[in-house]
Amino acid sequence: MFLLLLQNAIADALNSSEWVFPIAECFHIAAFAWSIGLIAIVDLRLFGVGIGHSTPPQILKATAPWTLIGLAVVLLSGPILFLSDPRMYLHNPSFVFKMYALALAIIFNYTIHRKVASSDSSSQGVRVLVGAVSLALWVSVVFGGLFIAFA
Amino acid sequence: MLLSFAQWIQFTAFFTALRGSANIYPIVMSLHMVGIALFGGMILMTDLRLLGWAMRKRSIADVVEQLRVPKRWGLLLTVTCGILMAGSKAEEYYYNAFFRTKLILFALVIIQELVFYRSVYANPAALDSSPGIPANAKLAAALSLLLWTSIACCGRGIGYIEPPLDKIHAQLRFVNTAALVDARGPSLPKGWDY
Repeated sequence: MFLLLLQNAIADALNSSEWVFPIAECFHIAAFAWSIGLIAIVDLRLFGVGIGHSTPPQILKATAPWTLIGLAVVLLSGPILFLSDPRMYLHNPSFVFKMYALALAIIFNYTIHRKVASSDSSSQGVRVLVGAVSLALWVSVVFGGLFIAFA
Repeated sequence: MLLSFAQWIQFTAFFTALRGSANIYPIVMSLHMVGIALFGGMILMTDLRLLGWAMRKRSIADVVEQLRVPKRWGLLLTVTCGILMAGSKAEEYYYNAFFRTKLILFALVIIQELVFYRSVYANPAALDSSPGIPANAKLAAALSLLLWTSIACCGRGIGYIEPPLDKIHAQLRFVNTAALVDARGPSLPKGWDY
């Protein structure tokens, strides 16, 4: 109950200006493009496409800090969007799907994906599989986000 | 003339069908986003390398040349989906200030590419052999980041402008959605154009 009241208070604050939502959304979009794109560079390298003179661990090491910055901006701007109308989002099946996909994608990214990408000795089959799962998870997140408006 | 072109193209059988489809349109939009993510990451990495902020152990030539092909695939996906979306609502987009701004920014990004093509993009090996990263390469990267980020934001802005209904001839989906909102209450995200 308290949470609902708090959410309403925050929503009122967010909705008091017509600029807060679009600006937060711009940050959300720019930052997701950056972070998912950087993860995609690692995934493509796992497939054997992209910066061939560098090994996957080298590319992961070079992109990881920037990916993290992008994800931080995404995960800060996302809740702002959510809090503008929590009830709508919680009842939106695409949003619920997106949250599951996002949780899976982040967990996968910082466990299996990181382990395989940072190893010089992982086999090509494992690399392709992990890259494909990673891409599929992040693409699901993007689809889920867009379909919120169409659910 | 542009307006009549916009009206003609949106009423071709292909774009009329696309506009009316409940599923294809959001899928095209999602793929547009996926393309942005791919392309955006590649652009970011290229620009950060040119600025000397990331991947400093890799040569500029490696990063620029080897990301070029996947970057172009990302751009191709984004542009294809973008044309599909704009074409199906061409008349509405014609009036949209953010869409017009976006087109101007595209023109600027093409000019940026042409201006810096010979000195930066066509010959990244020369940048590696210079003692520091040349100032014009850094300028090119900074402009690229600024322009592409602005383009993404303008793209989102398109959905925030209400189309001038009295001037639009196409039956758009948001007209039906308005009835839905009446029935269900205001439960749709702000700013989404239907």
